[in-house]
Amino acid sequence: MNLVGISINHKTSPLELREALHLNHDEIIELVPRLKSSIFSEGVVISTCNRTEIFGFPQNHVLDLAPIIDELILLKPVNGIQQEHFLKFFSCGAVKHLFSVASGIDSMIIGDSQILGQVKEAFEISEDLNFTDTTLRKIFDTAIKTGKRAIKETKIGEGAVTVSYAAVQVVEKIFSNLDKKSALVIGAGETGELAAVHLRDKGIGKIAITNRTIERAEKLAEKIHSEIVPFQFYKEHLHNFDIIISATSSDTIIVSYDDIKSAVKKRKNTPLVLMDIAVPRDIDPDVKNIDNVFYHDMDSLKIIVDQNLQKRKDQIPFVQKIIMEEMIGFFGWFNTLDVVPTIRTMRSFFEEIRNDELEKIKNKVSDEDFIKIEDMTRRMIGRILHNPTVKLREFAETGANIKEVAANTMILKDLFNLGSIPSNGKEINEDENKTDRVNEKE
Amino acid sequence: MLQPIDTLNLFLPILYALVFAAYTYDFFTEKKFVNNSKRIILFVTLILHALYLITRTIEFDHPPITSKFEIFSIIAFSIAFSYFILELLTDIRGTGTFIILFSLGFQIVSSLFIEHNYIVPEVLRNRLLGLHVINALLGYSGITISAVYGLLFILLYKNLKANKFGLVFNRLPSLEILEKLSFYSAVIGFILLTIAIIIGIIWLPSAFPNFSYLDPKLIGTFFVWIVYGIGILSKLFGSLYGKKVIFFSLTGFALAIISLIITSTLGKTFHSFY
Repeated sequence: MNLVGISINHKTSPLELREALHLNHDEIIELVPRLKSSIFSEGVVISTCNRTEIFGFPQNHVLDLAPIIDELILLKPVNGIQQEHFLKFFSCGAVKHLFSVASGIDSMIIGDSQILGQVKEAFEISEDLNFTDTTLRKIFDTAIKTGKRAIKETKIGEGAVTVSYAAVQVVEKIFSNLDKKSALVIGAGETGELAAVHLRDKGIGKIAITNRTIERAEKLAEKIHSEIVPFQFYKEHLHNFDIIISATSSDTIIVSYDDIKSAVKKRKNTPLVLMDIAVPRDIDPDVKNIDNVFYHDMDSLKIIVDQNLQKRKDQIPFVQKIIMEEMIGFFGWFNTLDVVPTIRTMRSFFEEIRNDELEKIKNKVSDEDFIKIEDMTRRMIGRILHNPTVKLREFAETGANIKEVAANTMILKDLFNLGSIPSNGKEINEDENKTDRVNEKE
Repeated sequence: MLQPIDTLNLFLPILYALVFAAYTYDFFTEKKFVNNSKRIILFVTLILHALYLITRTIEFDHPPITSKFEIFSIIAFSIAFSYFILELLTDIRGTGTFIILFSLGFQIVSSLFIEHNYIVPEVLRNRLLGLHVINALLGYSGITISAVYGLLFILLYKNLKANKFGLVFNRLPSLEILEKLSFYSAVIGFILLTIAIIIGIIWLPSAFPNFSYLDPKLIGTFFVWIVYGIGILSKLFGSLYGKKVIFFSLTGFALAIISLIITSTLGKTFHSFY
């Protein structure tokens, strides 16, 4: 199989280069016709913030990857890019790499589930642009299946691997039903937004945003359908919330020990969770000494993230096993592609002989007998060819020994001289008929 | 019938050890297969244990409450049974190892020292006494389970406070759930203890005309009952949350244990039947 692929990712290049080479939807649509015109007969372009990958079948069967890279750089000129920044894959290696990407074990954050959707989306773009055929379709179907199996059958995607999600995981260890709880997010920046989105996704009962710049708070509040607490008054409302997540860029402490002490008193000592995911910290760390106050900062949440990342790494061998199983399945299917024409030719060959012989006796027997002979010869040919057909298909489908498949196919072709004929076997049958006729004459 | 009784007596500690091992293994590894099968092993153990208690009752013609070691077997059964029901109702499966440990302990001691008692004091054949003892034992099982969940609450609470995110953090349910489990177990235990006390009060004058309300056992039980009563009422009508609820549960349990030890070793009480 002559599938080829190139990849520039977090393992091969710095962020600036990856960013510069990132292709958006429109750019992929622009690149595909270029690849289609001179390089690939079919192909797929995957581009995310951490990787850009191009897979395809070369038109001229020449495994030179430089033109693909050139085409990419032509579309997205980047200073300092070199061939060394690209990984190059061929045949089985390309398939294996694609399956690894789809299953998330090649991602920067191991087990990243977004990549599966991105692979799927990339394939759909190629399909829409008529840039795919049977083999590539099968490869990507199997890649997507591999990714789904990895998520379902292993723990590769389990556990929080971002600080904001780890914060939510801790919250879930304190409260059982988040739908009856309320949360206040202080700071409407990227981290605050992420935490707010996670809380909303977990079904938090009520969520409010407060931010020094009201416009940003309004923007986030609109996005996650939350309330807004004016920044100048938020301290007066602390006691109304079960969870407080602070993620501002303030240089000083904005929530003091006394603020929390007073809030806890007003809450009649019901548990209060404080997540300080700002650097430098927003909440006075001494609040952790207050009873029923659960205070966690970046350092403590990082412990969870690191633990979960390690757990995900431990799952890689299980995912690799799935990849191997799917590769065996795929190549089993792929090997049948070689076998199928041989089987078809062999059957045509025998069918031609049968028809020829039937033709010869057609006028020598009654119509009733002819039907019987026709029926008998069909069954006979069927029985003769049943075993070789099944065996050949079995050899190919197991995919365990490609050489054996090739050897068996060759023997068959040699025995019946199938190699020198087109797939319908007409020529050889004509030749054979000719020989038969010669023999008859003799 | 002695043969099956002896066989079950031998196998029950082994079965409880198996249940404990399954729950412990699952706690540490979270393997799907064990997660599903441990409940089945517990169920089979409970069926066989119930069979054991029934066959003993039939064979010896009295409920198995006539010796400490018969009582121990009932305690083992009632703790495991209460936990089983709790697990079925809540589908929280990660705490069994801490509770089944008690059943295992009680059943081992029971199986080692239990004897075949055909001749028992007439007072121990009374049906009301049977009801009184069974309610009391189920009640004590309830408060034991409540205390175990209370301890798990404290353990998780301290882990969360100290930023320890290990096995306890990963395997135990949330603090809120542990608090609820502890509270509900205490409520069930309290109700059953109340029933046991009421039956005792009804039955006591007829069985022991010279009994005294100042009997150490009665005083001890009354204090335990009061502590749980105050705790439950405060939670229901007051503002008790988290650690304070757990404090009542653990105090009640400690008091129950102390009372049990004192009355069965030091004090003289009409409750000493054995």
